[in-house]
Amino acid sequence: MDIPAMRANFGKAAATGDEAPLYFYSHLFLSHPETRQMFPVSMAHQRDRLFAALGDVMARVDDLDALVPILQQLGRDHRKFGTLAAHYPAVGASLLATLEHFDDEWTPELAKSWSEAYDVVASVMIQAADDAAEEPAWWEADVLSHERRTIDVAVLQVRPRTRYEYLPGQSVSLETDRRPRLWRYYSPANAPRPDGLLEIHVKARDGGPVSTALVRRVGVGDVLRLGPPMGHLTLKEDSDRDLLLVAGGMGLAPLKAVIDQVDRNGPPRRVDLFVGFRTEDQIYDRADLRRLEQEHPWLTVTYAVSEDKLSSLEQGEVGDVVLRHGPWLSREVCVAGPAPMVEDTVSRLRQHGIPEQRISSEVFAPSRPGPSVDGEVTE
Amino acid sequence: MTSEMSGSGQDDRGLTPADLQNVRFTRATMMHPGYVDSEVDRVLSRVAEELGRLYAEKAALRDQVRSLQAQVDGIVIPVPPSEQAVRILSAAQQTADTYVAEAEEFSRQMTSDARAEYEEQVRRARENAGAILQAAQEAAANIGGLAPVPAEPRHRSVEELEEQVAYLKAFGQACRVQLRSYLEALLGDVESEWGRADPGALPPGVRPPAQRVRGVLESAPSTTFESNTVADTPPDDTAEDGRPVRAVSGRSS
Repeated sequence: MDIPAMRANFGKAAATGDEAPLYFYSHLFLSHPETRQMFPVSMAHQRDRLFAALGDVMARVDDLDALVPILQQLGRDHRKFGTLAAHYPAVGASLLATLEHFDDEWTPELAKSWSEAYDVVASVMIQAADDAAEEPAWWEADVLSHERRTIDVAVLQVRPRTRYEYLPGQSVSLETDRRPRLWRYYSPANAPRPDGLLEIHVKARDGGPVSTALVRRVGVGDVLRLGPPMGHLTLKEDSDRDLLLVAGGMGLAPLKAVIDQVDRNGPPRRVDLFVGFRTEDQIYDRADLRRLEQEHPWLTVTYAVSEDKLSSLEQGEVGDVVLRHGPWLSREVCVAGPAPMVEDTVSRLRQHGIPEQRISSEVFAPSRPGPSVDGEVTE
Repeated sequence: MTSEMSGSGQDDRGLTPADLQNVRFTRATMMHPGYVDSEVDRVLSRVAEELGRLYAEKAALRDQVRSLQAQVDGIVIPVPPSEQAVRILSAAQQTADTYVAEAEEFSRQMTSDARAEYEEQVRRARENAGAILQAAQEAAANIGGLAPVPAEPRHRSVEELEEQVAYLKAFGQACRVQLRSYLEALLGDVESEWGRADPGALPPGVRPPAQRVRGVLESAPSTTFESNTVADTPPDDTAEDGRPVRAVSGRSS
């Protein structure tokens, strides 16, 4: 394999922007029409992601120790799309055709290098998929309840039909028949429960196809498909420090799962939860948080509103409100929410004197269609 | 070896296990330098066995080749799509993508506009409600313990009434004072007039006393009136003063 030559060749295709992936998918669908149904109607985002993923692979191609786990994760995760071992040669052929099409200096040697490299990639992915064959490629889950809490937020209770294992703080990819072939990641708002129930918080993003369908179209009795769980843990297992949890908007969901985990698995610790919203009537889960606060003397919930002067709740950005209540120097801290809120809060807490390694944060981007190459679905 | 062996060896079918089974070795001379029978037989049987296995394998392979051939014949090897086809599909896909993107953008605009409108309405309603509440609280505070449900128009009329009552009291007082001083002045005037009067000076045919009184009234009021006003009425009530006085004078006529 001539890696520098392959990189140079890939660079030419990648430089065309949308052209190369467009050519690739058209080539694939024409030579193997059965693969078309594995993709959504609009391919715009899919195209971006293909070359981004290929670029990530190319960047690590000479570091197999780093690359192999990534490919294994990709291979396992592709099962939910209905990918079979038979699809891999088809994709390989179209990929080579694409790379050839956009390179005037294509040589048989280059073709051989790419073909070898692709075979390695495909075999690793297929192997990982086969190794995971004893667990389902996806899980069907019934929607047991669907509550519209505000104009654009719904809380769903879903129950997978077969056992679904995940760790608190991980994310779950979801697909609904109302928006086929579009998978989005959500954080369950509870730790794994004996009855298998998952609580999913969804905010309808303006123009977001999946989130709006989940909030406004999906109802009790609908069936969702869940992909295998992904993402990192928000809570370090070896620590029993008291917790400070800071949520902005929908960042509440994973932090509620942390509270649930403390409740179910311990160790016993004080938990202070700060939840920031723009206005008071956006606080969509107040009743349940009140219940938790009443049931657990170790839990304190404080709300902050940033754009609601008439509210009697604490005024200001949630990071600011947190510091008004300090000091928090002994705490383990989890921060989850939209990017500006997370950045603001983390930098305030750092200034406050909490060491970096005790702050974990998750940024919730409006739309999370797929994991990064490192298997992260949040930033 | 018998000729049979060599004969069957020339056969097109090649060496069969049966050929080997039928091989008969010719006895050697009395000096018996030939093969030991048992060894030859053992070798022959092993060869036969081996050959049988190979035949079976050959048959299986032939079957396999046939079935594979059938499969290959059934498969259409995908011809790489032509450049033109790829271009056409790409254009179609891009058109579809544009439509979806436009629909999403439209939906994004609609929902964000609707949300902004909704939030503005709620905010305005809240402010209105807040202002109304505040006004009500202020009204309640002004009225004090008087009424638990203070309504503004009513509060105003109570205040007004109080003002009017006070004004009317003062007005009544002023009227009484003026009237009294006027009457006193009138009495004084009458006394002095009648005291000075000489009945003999009366013109013939006595005028009725009422007319007489009016005459006095008409000549005298300015002095009397002025002194009364200055002395007894507050300056801001001046305008109101004139009317009752004139009314009195009118009535007295």
